[in-house]
Amino acid sequence: MIALPTPARTISALVRGYFPRVLQIRGWVCALLVVLPVLLSFVLASILRMQQLSFGSQEALIVFHKVLAQLALPILVLVAAPAGIREDMEQRTLPLVLSRPAPTWILPFGKGLLWYGWGALWIVIAVGGMAGLGTEMASLPFMAAALLAAFWAELSFMTFLSLVFKRGTLWGALYLLIWDPLVRIMPGNLQRLTFIHYIESIAGSRGSSVGTSQLLAQEQITTPWYLAILVLFLFGVLCWAASGWKLQQTPIGLAGAEAEG
Amino acid sequence: MTATVSLERASLRYGDILGLSPTTFELPDGGGITGLLGPNGAGKSTLIQLLSGLLPPSGGEVRVFGQVPFRNPAVLSRIGLVPEGDRFPVGLRGHHWLRMMGELSGLSGSHLNAAMASALTAVGMEVNGKKLFSEMSKGMRQRMRLGQALLHDPEFLILDEPFNGMDPESRLQLMELLRQQALAGRRILVSSHILGEVAQLTDRILLLFRGRLLAEGSVAEIRELLDRHPVELRIGAESAQAVARWAVEHDELVALRMEESGAVLAVRNPRSFLPKLQEAVLSGALPLSSLDPIDLNLDAVFQFLTKDHA
Repeated sequence: MIALPTPARTISALVRGYFPRVLQIRGWVCALLVVLPVLLSFVLASILRMQQLSFGSQEALIVFHKVLAQLALPILVLVAAPAGIREDMEQRTLPLVLSRPAPTWILPFGKGLLWYGWGALWIVIAVGGMAGLGTEMASLPFMAAALLAAFWAELSFMTFLSLVFKRGTLWGALYLLIWDPLVRIMPGNLQRLTFIHYIESIAGSRGSSVGTSQLLAQEQITTPWYLAILVLFLFGVLCWAASGWKLQQTPIGLAGAEAEG
Repeated sequence: MTATVSLERASLRYGDILGLSPTTFELPDGGGITGLLGPNGAGKSTLIQLLSGLLPPSGGEVRVFGQVPFRNPAVLSRIGLVPEGDRFPVGLRGHHWLRMMGELSGLSGSHLNAAMASALTAVGMEVNGKKLFSEMSKGMRQRMRLGQALLHDPEFLILDEPFNGMDPESRLQLMELLRQQALAGRRILVSSHILGEVAQLTDRILLLFRGRLLAEGSVAEIRELLDRHPVELRIGAESAQAVARWAVEHDELVALRMEESGAVLAVRNPRSFLPKLQEAVLSGALPLSSLDPIDLNLDAVFQFLTKDHA
């Protein structure tokens, strides 16, 4: 008699089973998305310094907030999330997994965890590289924590959207690339409905980046950094749980929702 | 008698489309092969998805090993599914994927290694199983799908059109493998739209058409049912009248149509009629120049049966 696989063994099987996928094109695109901006900034900083121009902690902060947090991270999420459970649905291989006695509700998290781990590795490397741009060493752990927590929350959010909506990636892209940057003009507590608010609460204020030309800019509210990490973590857990519940409840046949003889 | 599978007025709708009408049948416990026969679109895959726990019924009840199969690990651990279609996980190697499927079935350590070796040997993929799926032929991928279904030693094996895309030698090997599995005590359900394929494997057939279970019985009973369908034969001859004169003397003739270069005969029970035709040609009683069966395809037979059972 074979023992039914536990959630932990299911996660372990999925992570190891799909590991070769992160070493293929999509995985390297994910790596480049976070490492390349830091590498290019490093080159730029070197050129500027050779010409006796300054590239210090203020510029490094702009690279972090404007490039890594607001651009590279959302794109990383948009590239990595479809490689999770959505990939099995699109390749129609999910029924092969669903016909196994493993717990269904853990599948979205199991597949997502592999991509979270892969993305997190390159985020840590990229943030480590920020030291070469002149970022204060004391800020690096907060920057890394901000991106890792946001990546966790955004990836799970995208996974959930992809299970709820047929065009989940599109809705996710709209949220991350249109709604989130509007944080600058959002009044009060509405800012808490963006990921950027929490990233900035953990990694440092955006206050200095608001100029007089930004007429609609609202006063920035802040959340204590430890609460911000907790909120992102719990939001991620909630989205993974909701994704698992959705998959458990949704009948997925050999041809998706299509009728098939 | 207990049943591996029992359906009690089980039906399935895809929105407004009826995939399977209320259907009732049982598959008994113990080893044996049952054929699920029907033309494309008959509801075979729908029925298979109900049995393998991928979809819940819209109405009625489906039980496998006495339990509801949908999202039920206790049932799924006893089922092996080989779905139709050439779907495979892109970017993975066969044996790597097989290991994951084994782990998702609860196998680990030496048990898993032994099960993988046994499954790969059973489907003849010991060497080619290490290839990427994209490097495998369609037949190899079909073997891998069969291998993953055998991996956890299931008691009930479900195969959806497993012979599609296979070369004749591979078909024979698969048939032999399925016979061995049945002898080892496995209950096997094989779907096909080709009666000849199913008939080589089993003497028990479920006949599906347009989402309805039309008949259930032995191959002989199903063949007898199919024989009641008038088959049209176009007989080419210099003298159509001679063909007609010969044909009207036989009870099997249902209809006769004269053509310029011969006649079209509609006959029942072609298995008794064709030997008579052969004898007449050999003895020179029938000046035949060509013989062309017009509607021997399964769809035409099923159309006839549906009217007959209305």
